[in-house]
Amino acid sequence: MRRHLLILLTVAIMIPSLSAILLGGAGLIQHEKTMKMVARSYVVDIAESFASRLDLSWSRTRTFPLANRERFMRPRQLTWGLSIPGWVAVVDVQGNILLSTGDADALPLLWEKGIPIGAAIEVESREGEKFTLAAYPAGETGWYVVAAVSWDKLLGPMLRFSRWPILVGMTGLLGLISVLALWKWLVAPLRVLGTEVSTLQLGKDIPEEDDPSAVFEIRRLRQVLHHLARGAVERAELMKRYVGDIVRVQEEERSRIARDIHDGPLQDVTALIHQIRLARMEGTERSGDLVRLENAEEGARHAVNEMRALCDELSPPWLDLGLSQALDELAERLSRYLGVEISVEVNTEEELPPDVTLAFFRVVQESVHNSVRHGEASRVNVRFFREGEVAVLEVTDNGKGFDPPADFEELRVRGHRGLANMSERMSLIGGELEVSKSPEGGTLVRCSWWLTSSSA
Amino acid sequence: MTIRVFLADDHPLTRAGLRDYIAKEKDLELVGEASDGLEAWKIIEREKPDVALLDIRMPGENGVSLARRIKGSSLPVVPVMLTSFDAQQYVMASLRAGARGYILKTVTPEELSRAIRVVARGGLYLDGEVARSIEDGHSAFETLSTREREVLLHAARGLSSKEIAGVLIISERTVQTHLASIYDKLGARNKTEAMLLALKYGIVALEELIE
Repeated sequence: MRRHLLILLTVAIMIPSLSAILLGGAGLIQHEKTMKMVARSYVVDIAESFASRLDLSWSRTRTFPLANRERFMRPRQLTWGLSIPGWVAVVDVQGNILLSTGDADALPLLWEKGIPIGAAIEVESREGEKFTLAAYPAGETGWYVVAAVSWDKLLGPMLRFSRWPILVGMTGLLGLISVLALWKWLVAPLRVLGTEVSTLQLGKDIPEEDDPSAVFEIRRLRQVLHHLARGAVERAELMKRYVGDIVRVQEEERSRIARDIHDGPLQDVTALIHQIRLARMEGTERSGDLVRLENAEEGARHAVNEMRALCDELSPPWLDLGLSQALDELAERLSRYLGVEISVEVNTEEELPPDVTLAFFRVVQESVHNSVRHGEASRVNVRFFREGEVAVLEVTDNGKGFDPPADFEELRVRGHRGLANMSERMSLIGGELEVSKSPEGGTLVRCSWWLTSSSA
Repeated sequence: MTIRVFLADDHPLTRAGLRDYIAKEKDLELVGEASDGLEAWKIIEREKPDVALLDIRMPGENGVSLARRIKGSSLPVVPVMLTSFDAQQYVMASLRAGARGYILKTVTPEELSRAIRVVARGGLYLDGEVARSIEDGHSAFETLSTREREVLLHAARGLSSKEIAGVLIISERTVQTHLASIYDKLGARNKTEAMLLALKYGIVALEELIE
């Protein structure tokens, strides 16, 4: 009930308004009809009474009571007074006016229409004035009495004084207009706003700032909502940039440290090995010294190997060789290190920007580790290919597989950062990451990146 | 007849050690040294050494690109990479760029002089650490069959097992059996290592791999 309250209320207000209009209209029509009937019976009465008086007078004197014109007319004046707007005329069969009060200029029209005897009709004068008119034969005299009443003069004031149906109609109309206005500027915009708010993805969508067809309050509500949503989007954007910065700074730092190790200590210890070897070659009398030098060389070589491994772990320098060769190298190293079979298939010569190469590289690194650690896979396939304008990287394994959650952030909350990080890395370069079941029952990680998109 | 050697490395101590290595050999003569890629190119052009030892990471121009430049210029100079990177992909990249040798900086003096002599004679030398040699423990080195050699060459050119199966009109499983047999015979752990070892043993020529 309350769910549709606005619609119900609108309808509830509309019903009385509509009935008021109908009522007003019906009243108006009824009023006019009554007036017409009143006017008709009125003129018929007058014509009849005059005719009977004329007939009476004729039968008594056998003369037209022209001489007694004043007397003849008196009763009318007495009965009606001067306020009655109408006239009476006596005409002969030829239509000549023998006697009339006031201007009987509507009479000729009567001839045109033909005279309905004893019944009233409505005619219009040449000036557009409306009359109700009736003719009545005056007994044996052969004359006719015609009585008429002007609508403008008689009914006009009466209509004017009985405006209630109009007022009711007007009120109804006003109500109807109000309802329409209410609907157009309040209810409809409110409903639109409601739908927008219920489907709004905070941090993603921004609703329109203004709705010119809404009332002020809704417009202000909309402005506030727009403001809040924009704030959320900005925050989300900031968050994304923040995470992006962390990843970028981390990678930069790692590659800087790797470079520093490579160019600094690694070279120093290498040079140290050279010196030890030279010292050994030059020889010494004491055999104990030779053993020490050999031990020192062994230790230094070990340090070099450790530093190389550290560099590869931090930021492999061979990433510069491009994705295809970096993947080959990674696969060879990981398969040696994790004891898993890894095949790499690269079916495109596509050159990728360094940050995209890095993102793909890290995804493979993480995926292979996940496959072995969580999926207990013994075989991993890495495929890189092009699908139209999309560069696709797929990592499939023959492990246990798992049902990936709809939202990787859930995993992050539970402390499993791997997938969330992979997804984050892809989204930072403008790509996408999907995880599903592989045809073998293991896991399929699929990354796509639009070749046309430029990465930040 | 002495072999004229050039050395480019941005690390002075490394250069000093290697300089002393070379000085110990009577048939080797160091004709120039450079600490960056651009300087290196100038000296190589001027001195035309027999062998140029190039660090991969150098300011100015890296060693791989320098090797490519030497190859392109048709100078009678043999580039050899001398680096700290032990990634096999670097070996492949260097060989494709025209290098005839790949040595790690932790190389012993004996190995270094042997490498220089081998490449000066027109041979190919790969460091034991990036492509282990027979002496390193793998004893049962057998000759590859013609089919295995074919499979290895296709794999080396970057074809997947499926693609090789398509080219040779055999099943993918057969290709994998061949590859496993190749790895076993060469003592390789993966495709790249198999290629490098095949090169090292002279089973395939560098030109065949690079096309």
